Amino acid sequence: MIQKGMWWKLSGIIIFLYVLWGGLTIPLRPGITSITPSSAKTGDTVTLKATGYNTHFASVKKGRAWLKLDSIHATKSLDWQSTDDNHVSLRFVLPQTLPNASEVFPLHLIIDNETDGAFVHPNAIFISSATDTLSFDNTSWSGHDLGQFSEHTGIQFPYRSILNETIRNTFFHVALWFAMFLLLIFGVYYSIQYLRTADYDFDRKASAYTNIAVLYGIFGILTGSVWAKFTWNTFWTNDVKLNMTAIALLIYLAYIILRGMNYDQDKRARLAAIYNIFAFIALIPLVFVIPRMTDSLHPGNGGNPALGGEDLDHTLRMFFYPSIIALFLIGKWIAELTIRFERVKDYFYLKNT
Amino acid sequence: MNRISEIFLKELVVEFRQKYALGGIFLFSATIVFLVYKVFNQVSGLEWSIMLWIITLFAGLNAIVKSFVQEKKETYLYYYSLFNPLELITAKLIYNVLFLGLLFISILIFMSLFLGFPVKDPFLFFLGSSLGLTGIAIILTFVSLIANSEQSGSTLMSVLSIPLILPIMMLLLKITAVSLRLISDTSVDQDVWMLAGIDAIMLGTVIVLFPLLWRS
Repeated sequence: MIQKGMWWKLSGIIIFLYVLWGGLTIPLRPGITSITPSSAKTGDTVTLKATGYNTHFASVKKGRAWLKLDSIHATKSLDWQSTDDNHVSLRFVLPQTLPNASEVFPLHLIIDNETDGAFVHPNAIFISSATDTLSFDNTSWSGHDLGQFSEHTGIQFPYRSILNETIRNTFFHVALWFAMFLLLIFGVYYSIQYLRTADYDFDRKASAYTNIAVLYGIFGILTGSVWAKFTWNTFWTNDVKLNMTAIALLIYLAYIILRGMNYDQDKRARLAAIYNIFAFIALIPLVFVIPRMTDSLHPGNGGNPALGGEDLDHTLRMFFYPSIIALFLIGKWIAELTIRFERVKDYFYLKNT
Repeated sequence: MNRISEIFLKELVVEFRQKYALGGIFLFSATIVFLVYKVFNQVSGLEWSIMLWIITLFAGLNAIVKSFVQEKKETYLYYYSLFNPLELITAKLIYNVLFLGLLFISILIFMSLFLGFPVKDPFLFFLGSSLGLTGIAIILTFVSLIANSEQSGSTLMSVLSIPLILPIMMLLLKITAVSLRLISDTSVDQDVWMLAGIDAIMLGTVIVLFPLLWRS
């Protein structure tokens, strides 16, 4: 018994369940959490002890590893010894000379095996020259063909140091802001419609959409706060985006107060509609201009990469965009219920007086 | 243009007829400055700039609240038949911007009397201040229109206007800090432009929305 106009509500719920299921159950890609030692000298024989995350070192038959400087300079490990799934010892014999004239340089660790596929840990170890004289020779560093990497099959989310498992919050925290903005646009649209037609129903709609958007904003702040606790180690920082969001929420809470004033209906509706338009326009520099001109800890500001690169790869996109759609549809549904409730309330109010 | 100046003059006359109210606002700012002076005795540059803007904000709030209620409803009906809304809002805005500027300068004089004048870059300071004050005056005028059309009082006025003013305040405090040489920032020009941009957006919105409000 699917009623008319119900398909989008159902699809909102189904998409959101899909996001919840996929976003919370799909594992992360294997990665390295820590490596000892962190520095070595040329000519040393180092045994790197790597601790992995989501790795399956114990069942590996053919594990390979390289320490890589750039696209042509690398050195291969001689030995692979794993104690359990998450710990592996790799023995490297470092060449006697550095590949180019530099006192210290970082090497990236590449690990490749048939169960986990290939993955990289950047800046795994820092190499410095054992002798005071800087001689360099790149013959002993080149000529290591990295060969064919194993491919891991199945969907996995990217492993990012610091972010770790919290990368899943992208589907909720970021998507909530996008959905909030969509709902605010609807609110402003209905406010404009109200001013054009003076039909009180548009005011109900504008108010319902704005209220649910404010609720989403509060959820966005809460999810962001929890995320910040895990990545930046604080619930609230002096970050420009956080401040601007707080201001935006204050502006919209003021709208709710204005909408709740004891004016007569038409006057209240007109004032609320005008304030809503004004607030939305005031929001544009707040959200889109000022954060872009100031340094921020958020991705996309102050040199941090935005939505792109490894931060939002195709596996994340598979859940991120549906999440925006689902949250928007659910918000629309809630708004629609509020509108109907208000209509019924007003109907009985008029009937009784 | 002629009519704008007439409305402007009318505002001025109405204001000066109520000398006690006008004097009250200036006395308010003087008292607060003196209070700050007695509380702090010695203020650093940072406290000076914060105090300056907080006092200006609240004195301005008190001053502009009455911008649209000092006259009777019947008088407004008369204006409505007389003026084009665009002319009226332009005159009101010019008047409020100038009034807020005057208030700011008087607060500045009181502050320099009691607490000194630590500004190292007067050009930047006055440029930033005038842009910021314009923005604050525009927002306060607009909100006083919304909040004061009923007897709701000044609570609604501050609730509605302070969040809208906050971004301007943050930019202003930063520009003031730079002009006091408390922080050095090479991109302060950007902040000044941003302030001018916010002013322009607010001005445009008020001019578009005012005729709708005016009809009530």
